[in-house]
Amino acid sequence: MRRVPQPPVNPALRAREDHDFWPGLVVVLAGIIVTFCGARHLTSVETVEGGNATEIQLVKAFSSGGLEYPGPATPPPPPNLDNVADPGAALERWAKQQANVVPPAWKIRVDLGAKAACPT
Amino acid sequence: MAWPTHPMECSAPQSPERSPATLGRKLSRLRPWVQTGFLAVWLAPLGRWLHGIPGCVFHCYSCPLSSFACPVGVLANYAAMLPVAGELPYLLIGMLLLVGAISGSLVCGWACPFGFLQDLLGKITTWKIQPPAWTGHLRYVVLAGLVILLPMWLGFKGIPFEAQAVSICRLCPAGALEAGLPYSVQGLLAGNGWTMSWLKTGILLSFLAAALLIHRPWCRMLCPLGGLLALFNRFSLFHLRFNAQECVECNLCRSRCSMGVKVDQAVNVTGCIRCLECTTCGALEPGFARPGKPPTGS
Repeated sequence: MRRVPQPPVNPALRAREDHDFWPGLVVVLAGIIVTFCGARHLTSVETVEGGNATEIQLVKAFSSGGLEYPGPATPPPPPNLDNVADPGAALERWAKQQANVVPPAWKIRVDLGAKAACPT
Repeated sequence: MAWPTHPMECSAPQSPERSPATLGRKLSRLRPWVQTGFLAVWLAPLGRWLHGIPGCVFHCYSCPLSSFACPVGVLANYAAMLPVAGELPYLLIGMLLLVGAISGSLVCGWACPFGFLQDLLGKITTWKIQPPAWTGHLRYVVLAGLVILLPMWLGFKGIPFEAQAVSICRLCPAGALEAGLPYSVQGLLAGNGWTMSWLKTGILLSFLAAALLIHRPWCRMLCPLGGLLALFNRFSLFHLRFNAQECVECNLCRSRCSMGVKVDQAVNVTGCIRCLECTTCGALEPGFARPGKPPTGS
């Protein structure tokens, strides 16, 4: 073992660095409470199956690619007018369907069954 | 006067010799076995259901054998999700408070599998570099920038974390080693070619090269989790105490520290990973804070 030279130290003047018990204990207790609350926490994120996901389910979704974001709202395909008796009515129906297309209400949801090996 | 900070820079002892303390010697011998034992905890193929619980060490949750969720990945996911679901990671915060307040960065030195790997790579004899102490602050830049702010900013732009081109998970050497490498080898064997991106492959190779030249380069300069846990070192229940009566100014404490901590000045600092190697000097001893025992100034 090679020694590293250092400035002269005066051991008597150096702080003992003893830690106080109570600040550590307060943070430990805070950690226990927050962990307990987290384990029981029901998030605002919905699951695909319905209902809200727990925090444990949400964290698990991160590692399994279980987070779903809504894609762009896709309108129905236009009708094939060749085999339709009344093309005007078919086009009218299609226009109505297009107008009724609304984006999904959810912004993010959890697929509990997702099993992607590596999401990223 | 500038003092060399690495053992290799000094050739002759300047102070009286002393034999390493018995406890320190025992701890030094015990540590690799404890690290190996913890591997069984972090690499538990049957414990995959624990992916819902953030672990307290740096270990990729996409690793085929990982048992717990990576705390850094969880934090980054929460940051990216903030614009669409204002959720706070209570489990992660609680776990960090709990582990940090009890042990500080002790888990870095004794339990982290990625740290263990770097310890093993560091044992290979090569020319070693000691980075300057300020590089330790880069850990907080990574934490604030790459783990919290960048995913959050991209999240506000409507890009989900998994689709973000630049993210901690896409740049992480632990992810490259523990998930990218196994899946790429699997892909090669199945005839699908090398599936890991070339950027990530380059990061992995650079990390392995750096670990040969610098002791624990990731922990020392870039690990956001280690940086977080090290903040607890100043008041955690477990800590290192200096015993002035035992100090013979032999410099052994500082010589044993491979993280470049100036142990002769202060030991419960953010650069320390609590490997406890410095306790071989005998003047430093590990201990737990106890009620009714107020800290002494000197």
